[in-house]
Amino acid sequence: MERILDKGRLGAWVAALADWTVLAPALQDGIWAYVPVAGAEEGLTLGHPNTVQPPKGQSFPQREVFFSFDETEDGKPRLTPLVPSPANRVVLGVRPCDGRALTHLDRVFGEEAPDAYYQARRGTLAYVGLACNKPPSRHCFCTSVGGSPFGEEGLDVLMIDLSDRYLVRALTPVGEALMTAGQGALTEAGADDRAEAQQRRLAALAHPQRTVAKPQAVPQRLKAGFGSALWERLAQPCIGCGICTFLCPTCHCFDINDEVAGQSPVCGSRVRTWDSCQFPDFTMHSSGHNPRADLGARLRQRVCHKFQYFFENHGAFQCTGCGRCITACPVGIDIVTVVNQVAAEAAPVQPADC
Amino acid sequence: MINPAELHTRVRDLLEGGQVRAVIGYRRGTRGWAAEPVVIDRPEEAQDLVWDPSCVHNLALYLVQDRRRRGALGEPADQPIGILAKGCDARAIVVLMQENYLRRDEVYIIGLSCESSGMLDEHKLVGGAAGIDPQDLEAVGFEGDQFVLSSPHQQWRMPAAGVMADRCLECRNPCPKVHDTLLGNEPTEREPRGQARAGTLSEPFAELQRFERTAASAAARWDFWSRQFDRCIRCFACRSVCPMCYCEECMVDSIAFTVTPDTTAQEKADRLRWIERSASRSDNIGYHLTRALHLAGRCIDCGECERVCPVRIPLRLLNTKMERESRERFGYEPGASVEVAALLSSFRDDDPNDFIR
Amino acid sequence: MDANIYLPQLARVVAIHSEVPGERAIKTFRLEFIAGDGFSHKCGQCAMLSIFGRGEAMISIASSPLIHDYKQFSIMRAGRVTSGFHELDVGALVGIRGPFGNSFPVNDWHGKHLVFIGGGCGLAPIWPVIQTAVTKREDFGDITVFYGGRSPRDIMYRAELEKLRGAAEVYLSVDSPDDGWEEYCGFVPANLMEKEPSPEDAIAITCGPPAMIKFVIKNLHALGFQDEQIYTTVENKMKCGIGKCGRCNIGKDYVCTNGPVYSWADLKQLPQEY
Repeated sequence: MERILDKGRLGAWVAALADWTVLAPALQDGIWAYVPVAGAEEGLTLGHPNTVQPPKGQSFPQREVFFSFDETEDGKPRLTPLVPSPANRVVLGVRPCDGRALTHLDRVFGEEAPDAYYQARRGTLAYVGLACNKPPSRHCFCTSVGGSPFGEEGLDVLMIDLSDRYLVRALTPVGEALMTAGQGALTEAGADDRAEAQQRRLAALAHPQRTVAKPQAVPQRLKAGFGSALWERLAQPCIGCGICTFLCPTCHCFDINDEVAGQSPVCGSRVRTWDSCQFPDFTMHSSGHNPRADLGARLRQRVCHKFQYFFENHGAFQCTGCGRCITACPVGIDIVTVVNQVAAEAAPVQPADC
Repeated sequence: MINPAELHTRVRDLLEGGQVRAVIGYRRGTRGWAAEPVVIDRPEEAQDLVWDPSCVHNLALYLVQDRRRRGALGEPADQPIGILAKGCDARAIVVLMQENYLRRDEVYIIGLSCESSGMLDEHKLVGGAAGIDPQDLEAVGFEGDQFVLSSPHQQWRMPAAGVMADRCLECRNPCPKVHDTLLGNEPTEREPRGQARAGTLSEPFAELQRFERTAASAAARWDFWSRQFDRCIRCFACRSVCPMCYCEECMVDSIAFTVTPDTTAQEKADRLRWIERSASRSDNIGYHLTRALHLAGRCIDCGECERVCPVRIPLRLLNTKMERESRERFGYEPGASVEVAALLSSFRDDDPNDFIR
Repeated sequence: MDANIYLPQLARVVAIHSEVPGERAIKTFRLEFIAGDGFSHKCGQCAMLSIFGRGEAMISIASSPLIHDYKQFSIMRAGRVTSGFHELDVGALVGIRGPFGNSFPVNDWHGKHLVFIGGGCGLAPIWPVIQTAVTKREDFGDITVFYGGRSPRDIMYRAELEKLRGAAEVYLSVDSPDDGWEEYCGFVPANLMEKEPSPEDAIAITCGPPAMIKFVIKNLHALGFQDEQIYTTVENKMKCGIGKCGRCNIGKDYVCTNGPVYSWADLKQLPQEY
């Protein structure tokens, strides 16, 4: 199903989505973020660079309460599971890199031992994507990692910017439902519209981006470069914060802790919170032994997880090339440079490999 | 103006002569225009060092990192470590020495004066008249009280004060007072200071005063700060980038604490959890306010915490508030001199106590 | 509806036995499910044990899968959760989630000679295999058990080890003997070398402190064991137990799901970061 949406009618479409909570990008408190909108908003547009935080918090929030615990009258532990029942939500203006990232998270949380909390949020979540006519950031590199500025993975609808209007394409039954609900604001798409959309797509694919050199060789080369001294050197300025992982649309590491509200009787909640492999004691054993005690090992873990381990397990890079970690790193550690340098060092010096 | 060649020579000589075992400085990063911290230990690496308005990082953090690593490996150092230090950074080093975290003879301070300029705040570029996207930039440079910015196709010159970081606009010490060698001069003239106004140097605490004027009532401030802390994702970047946050066991982090083979099970079990990892409003408030209190009299306003925050919480307001309290109540200036004791670990008989009820 | 993978079942502590006293005390707990079906497990698998208010810890299931009445866990007092266990009385209710991980391919070992090499608390993860082997004695060849601790006090399952004699050859050792000690004095890997078990048609299963495992594998190689004949279990800090929290990985494998059981042939393919 393809339709045309005049840019001025975006608010009308949103207003028609009364059964959904709609989130759209807005510049708030100095940063671009997805915020709830009520539709019919004056001047609602999708003119945003990528948001500072990806929309992953919609299915995998920073804090998830698994269950509360307290005691029955006879002192027996009582657990009350707290699987959420969120409202239907639709996020507008999702970039294809973030859409693709959602499919990676679906693999982690959905396959093998499905996570009910993630599934509850995911099952009520729709992404309306916005294709990137040009890279929203100098640090984008989606085409190097198997993605595309017009990619459709993880999205329910794809919108393509045709200057004064959007071509709106449904990708899933949920997407069709969204478009049907908004039919008052949408008009027929014609052959000209489709042709223009295709032109934009070709132009976007040809637009220069940062590149990971020889991506198909990267997993093997990272494996060969495990013991390289480069890791420690490249990680030297790292301050050990969690910005790269928390802003990453595919990072999913978490911690589970009991937050105690009272002691007699013991009551509280078991809570999941985001965690980061970059925190120094992420892997610290109770004995004090830490398999990843230095910065180089932790940088290597993050990079290899994205570009080797996930690839070995699932056949695709986990990184979707959004570039947020590069933009936001306080000291400028650049994952593309790191991958390129380690892979280059590990590359076999043979004429056949050019 | 500091001649980069002079910086290279000075650093190379120190390394060649064995006066320092390494030098913490800045080099060109891979993100285009922005400098990144680096630790070099060979004389030939000296020529990679840069000095420009993107050298925002407080390198004192890497003194802490160096000490931690040596401590973990049990490696005492024979020679001092060299470090490039701006006026603010040098005061951070002084605080570390006041608290006996470092000895004066362990650090060779290569002072760099910002002279009549300061550091570039890339957020100010986007909104400014030129509408420059920082991601287009290839290089930025000092030129007196101006900045020179270059992209692949264009070059701009603009008054530095228009796009300088707020903490630079309010800076009192652009030239490090404590140093072992100094590059650049004490500025002979900086414009008279006034209220925070775009494009001019401001008086100290200008941003704090502006905030206090716009959010005058307690309710207004509670609203403001609730909104700020609701955005916090507890990435801990503010703490990680701060040289003063060197505690192995952070009181406002319930999870991370020192564990060695000698730590007993009882010690681990007894560890109190003051603040949970959840980024809930109350845990976030607890984290930030406790951290601000722990920095009272210690924070020298390098502004890094605010710069690195991915969700742009105006953290300087919290820390400069505590700094102003230190100055006004106790006449105490953080990081002024190694001989002066830390504020919270000393008292004078004539310390004011009228606020004690 | 799928079971909630993070929600523990409740179990009652039906027996507590003090194995090793002191700072790093070890106690053995037997847990009985109080409601629901509980779960069955295979040799080598682990379970997350909860003390609500303190948290969870991943502990190897030390009882044989052939036992249905209870599940056995030997827990060393190491931190917040395990201290909580050491303070429990019989009758206390705790949480249990599982079973997690892969298992020893015991069915592939029918007819083979089994050589067990354990040290310290490492006897517990391999105990289910030992128990299964002596219970189904006719399915296996010779059974040999090497086990040692720092001192006689640190030997766990002492009575059970004595009961094995006859069905299995049991060689105990301590680093620091006391007056009554009559068996081998020295490290477990050295005891292994001295007794020279044959690698022919044999499988070696080892678990213990990392340093011990390293020397045991070296000595097994010297005795002629191939990498495919050597099995071990590894551990890492864990939180979810189901390969989602990202913490326990060794390279592409999550120890909680792809492990903890590995042949040395497989383990040496992974990055040596554990």
